[in-house]
Amino acid sequence: MKVNDGAMTLALATIQALQILTIVIVSPFISGVTSHLEARIQGRRGPRILQPYYDIKKLFRKETLVPNDASWVFMAAPIVAFTCYLIVPMLIPVLTNYPLPLGYIGDILGGGFVLSLASFSLALAALETNSPFAQLGSSRAKTFGALIEPSILFVAFTVAVITTTDLPYFEAAAARSSISQIVRPAHVLAVIAFFLVVLNDTGRIPVETHSGTLEFGMIEEARSLEYSGPLFGLLKWGSAMKQLILYVLLVNVFTAPWGLAGTQKLSALLLAIVAFIAKALVVGLVFAMIDNSFSKLRLFKITEFMAATFLLAFLAVVALFLGGG
Amino acid sequence: MAALVPSTFSGIADFMAIVVLLSEFAMLRAPLSRSQIKLYSFQSMVVTVLAIFIAADRHIDGLYAVAAISLILKVVVIPAIVLRLLRDAKVELVASNRIGVASMVLISILVSIFAMVVIDGLYVHSKSLPTAALGVAVAVVLVSFLLVIFRSDVVSQAVGFFSLENGVSVASLVVAAGLPLIVEVAFFFDLLVAVVVFGVLMRVHHGRTQSLSTDLLDQLKG
Repeated sequence: MKVNDGAMTLALATIQALQILTIVIVSPFISGVTSHLEARIQGRRGPRILQPYYDIKKLFRKETLVPNDASWVFMAAPIVAFTCYLIVPMLIPVLTNYPLPLGYIGDILGGGFVLSLASFSLALAALETNSPFAQLGSSRAKTFGALIEPSILFVAFTVAVITTTDLPYFEAAAARSSISQIVRPAHVLAVIAFFLVVLNDTGRIPVETHSGTLEFGMIEEARSLEYSGPLFGLLKWGSAMKQLILYVLLVNVFTAPWGLAGTQKLSALLLAIVAFIAKALVVGLVFAMIDNSFSKLRLFKITEFMAATFLLAFLAVVALFLGGG
Repeated sequence: MAALVPSTFSGIADFMAIVVLLSEFAMLRAPLSRSQIKLYSFQSMVVTVLAIFIAADRHIDGLYAVAAISLILKVVVIPAIVLRLLRDAKVELVASNRIGVASMVLISILVSIFAMVVIDGLYVHSKSLPTAALGVAVAVVLVSFLLVIFRSDVVSQAVGFFSLENGVSVASLVVAAGLPLIVEVAFFFDLLVAVVVFGVLMRVHHGRTQSLSTDLLDQLKG
């Protein structure tokens, strides 16, 4: 840290660490506000905004129970997943609009692979438990994951054609560069498709109820049923982080890449953190409203949701190649 | 090389054309006849907004009149008439898919791509023409043909025909925005005739067979 022109400037490595810390610390807050808002819309008083922090703290003080059949995979999975969620914030523009030293080690697909690794390790661990519901969840999560994958790929293709790279920083810069870039059909369609992908990946209502207790409708939630204590705490924290990471991609890359810090000044970065929290809260509010206005799809109708998502992403690529949209 | 960025005007026009196409897809798979009609109303609304947008951008006052007629007729009156007929028929759901939803959507995607490739091949380009919109408009026309072919109930036939007219409207708006008012009004007159014909068809057919499915029309063979 050095003082420069009366304003504090941070080293690039510090900013990188700050990005990860922001995700780690802010993510339970965003989840808390979202579930609070959801409850208010339903006319309930709802949990405290800071409730996720208390939950995690409580879980970290409890003992860990492991199913009889489980091996080290069961113990390692939450840690692997949490590590993956720590890696992804290095690749995406959380606070700055200029790439940080490690920002180029992976593109959107690379980040997607790291997130898939997290999901894969959780699915393995769920298989280990020998509990029917956890296994059901892991099998469903993989099946629907495979079905949503083409849409993610076509969104990435759209970004690739628009920017000639797949780096999230470039897509954000393209969206910032002019209004024509934002209203072009390929961009709008890709944004809508990605929004639906985020709805799916965060376990939101058309696909899954994230706060329900009925195991039959569960997809991703069911995988953590056998966990307890600190490992369960890590899982809860991890899923809040995953949600916030996807929000970052949604707002800072696709929809509203403004309000990011352009310099290394501490004041600019603090402002960027505030702007980022505000944007994430707006996304949370939109998601809470969607949660309250639609009903969950029947399990076998979820494929239609995914087909619609794919149609949008596919049209985005078609519009780019035929007609320069 | 990065793809050329279309201008803001053609970006927005292209996007609205794509929304029209997407609502055509939604009509194709909508199970309830009522929701098909509501989708048609929404689609006409988008066409109306597109007309106003082009009128404002190109300063063509005649288009405002077209937009007004389209708002009254296609967004309000025609859906209201068809909904009224449907209420009298007391039929909620007609099992009319000849093939599955997924295959229907896949075939429609292929047909849309065909339309866009063909129009792209014609190389109709100009500075003021939203390039993708023309191909999309042709895709709307072709997909509405598919709606008429794949769904065998009277409402789908009617809505398919009406939305075909929406596709033609989009094409004429993006290619020849300054088309004389009288031609546009002639389009609307065509549409009104179609409404009367389909209204009579719905009434008579339902009166005879107590159903809206067109499969029974085979029995008219002499």
